[in-house]
Amino acid sequence: MTIAWITARGLLGRRRSWLLLPMPLILIGVTAVGLAFDAPAADLIDGVLLGLGVAVILPLVSLIVGTGVLGSEIDDGTVVHILTKPIPRSRIILSKLVVAATVSAVTVAVPMFVAAAMVGGVKLGLGFAAACVAGAIAYSALFLALSVVTRRPVLVGLLYVVIWEGLLSNLVTGTRTVSVQHFVIKFAAEVSGSSLFATTVSTAVAAVMTVVFTVVGTWLATQRLRSFSVAGETS
Amino acid sequence: MSDQSVIHDIGYQRYTGTRLGRGYAARSLFEHGLRVAFGLGRSAKAKIFPWIVIGMVSALAVVVVAIKSQTGEMVLTYQQLPSTISVVAMVFLAVVAPELVSRDLRNQTLPLYFSRPIRRSDYALAKLAALVVAVWLLLAGPQTLIFLGSAFTAADASGVAAEARGLLGGWVVSAVYALIFSSLAVLIASIASRRAFAAGAIVVVFMVTSPVVGLLMALGGDGPMAQIAPMFSPFLLPEGVRQWLYGTSLEVGPYGPVYGLVTLLLVAGCTSLLVLRYRKVSL
Repeated sequence: MTIAWITARGLLGRRRSWLLLPMPLILIGVTAVGLAFDAPAADLIDGVLLGLGVAVILPLVSLIVGTGVLGSEIDDGTVVHILTKPIPRSRIILSKLVVAATVSAVTVAVPMFVAAAMVGGVKLGLGFAAACVAGAIAYSALFLALSVVTRRPVLVGLLYVVIWEGLLSNLVTGTRTVSVQHFVIKFAAEVSGSSLFATTVSTAVAAVMTVVFTVVGTWLATQRLRSFSVAGETS
Repeated sequence: MSDQSVIHDIGYQRYTGTRLGRGYAARSLFEHGLRVAFGLGRSAKAKIFPWIVIGMVSALAVVVVAIKSQTGEMVLTYQQLPSTISVVAMVFLAVVAPELVSRDLRNQTLPLYFSRPIRRSDYALAKLAALVVAVWLLLAGPQTLIFLGSAFTAADASGVAAEARGLLGGWVVSAVYALIFSSLAVLIASIASRRAFAAGAIVVVFMVTSPVVGLLMALGGDGPMAQIAPMFSPFLLPEGVRQWLYGTSLEVGPYGPVYGLVTLLLVAGCTSLLVLRYRKVSL
C-alpha cells in the first residue's frame, strides 16, 4: 500500500507528468473538430478513435507511465530502498502494476469515453472505455516487465509500439494475434456491438492473449526483480 | 620542520604549443556527436539501437535493388524512400537525440564543455549539426545503395546519368527531412534531462500530429484545407516541400512556396530556441 502511494506520488507529483495531459485533450478536441465538419462516423472512428486513440495515445501513455513507475527508481538507484525492505518482490511488482494500470487507464479511458460518446452515443463510449482499460492493463504489465528486463525500456517499448504494432501488424497478418492494439479494437467492437469498424482477431484470442500478456508480464517482472542486480549507469 | 627545507624544481613547465581555439573545439564536438549517433567508439550496448534502425533501412534498399535487377521495375523511387522510412527515422531520432544532449544535462557535464573556448551557441549548433548529418546519412545511405545497384544493372551511360539525377533529387529530399526532423528532435530532447522521457516526448510530438492531420486532409477533400493541413505534421511537411521542388508528391495546390517558407521558419525557430535554451541552461 505504501509502495503504491509512493509510486503514485513519484509519478504524478512531478512537473513532467503534466506532459500526459495534452494528449487526451487533443483526442477530444480533434473529435469535436471532426464533428463540426460533419464527418461520417465511420471516418471519425477509423481516423480518430482508432488511428489516434488506440494506436497512438493508449500505447504511448502506457509506455511513459509503465516504464516510469519502476524504471525511474532503477535509474535513480532508489529502488534499493524498496528491495532491502522485507516485502515480497511479487507485491512490489503488483502494487507498481496497479498504479501504472490505473493511471494509464484513467488518462486514456475517460477521454476515449467522451470522444466515442460524442461520435456514436454512450454505448460506443462504454465500449471504447472498457477496451482501453483492458489495453492499459496489458500494456502496463508488458512495459513494467520491460523496465526490469532491459536498461533501456522506453526504447525497446517504442520499437514494439512503432515497428511491431505500427508497421508489422498492419502488413503481416500473423503478428496480429500478438498485438495488444488489435485486441483493444476487438474488445471495443464486442462491448459496443458496433459494426462501424473492422476487427481482425477473434474474441477468444483477444481475451486469452490479453490475460497471457498481463500474467506473463507480471510473472517475468517478478522473476527478474528476484535476481535483480543494482548497477550504476552504464553504456 | 627542519631549517634546511628546499624547494625542488620537479620540472613543471608551461604549455608552449599552439592552442587550438574555438573552431577546433566545435569541430571536435560535431565529430564526436556524429560518432555517438552511430554508437562508434562506444560499448556494444550503445550500438544496438542505431544499428537495428540502419539494418532495417538497408534491408529495404537491398529488396528494392533486388526487385529492380530482376524485373527492371523501380518499386520505390529515390524521392519516395525518405517518406517510406520516416517512421523508422523517427525511432532513430528518439534513440540518438537524447543520447546527444540529454546525457550531458543528466550527468552535469555542461560546465566542462563551457570551460573550453566554445560559446554556448557553438555547443548547441554542433549537436544539431551532428544530428542533421546523422539523419541525412541514414536516409541518403539506402538511396546511394539503390543507386549503386541500379547503376551496375543500367544498360548504358545515359541510364546511369538518369539514375544519378534521381539520386541527387533524393539527396535533396533527404536533406529537407533531416533538417526538419533533427531541429525538432534536438529541441525537445534538450528540455528533458532523462533520456527515457526525451525519447517519449519526441515520439509523442511526431506521432500525435499525424492522425490529426490525416483526419483534416480526409475532411478537406480537394479543398484548400487538404492542401494546407499537411504542413502541421513533421512527417508530411517535407513531402509538401518535395511537391514544391519536384512535383512528385501529395497535392498542395498553390501552397508549395508556403511549405518552403514554413520549413525555413520551423528550422530557424527551433534552432534559435535551442540556442536560447543553452543560454539559460542551469549548470
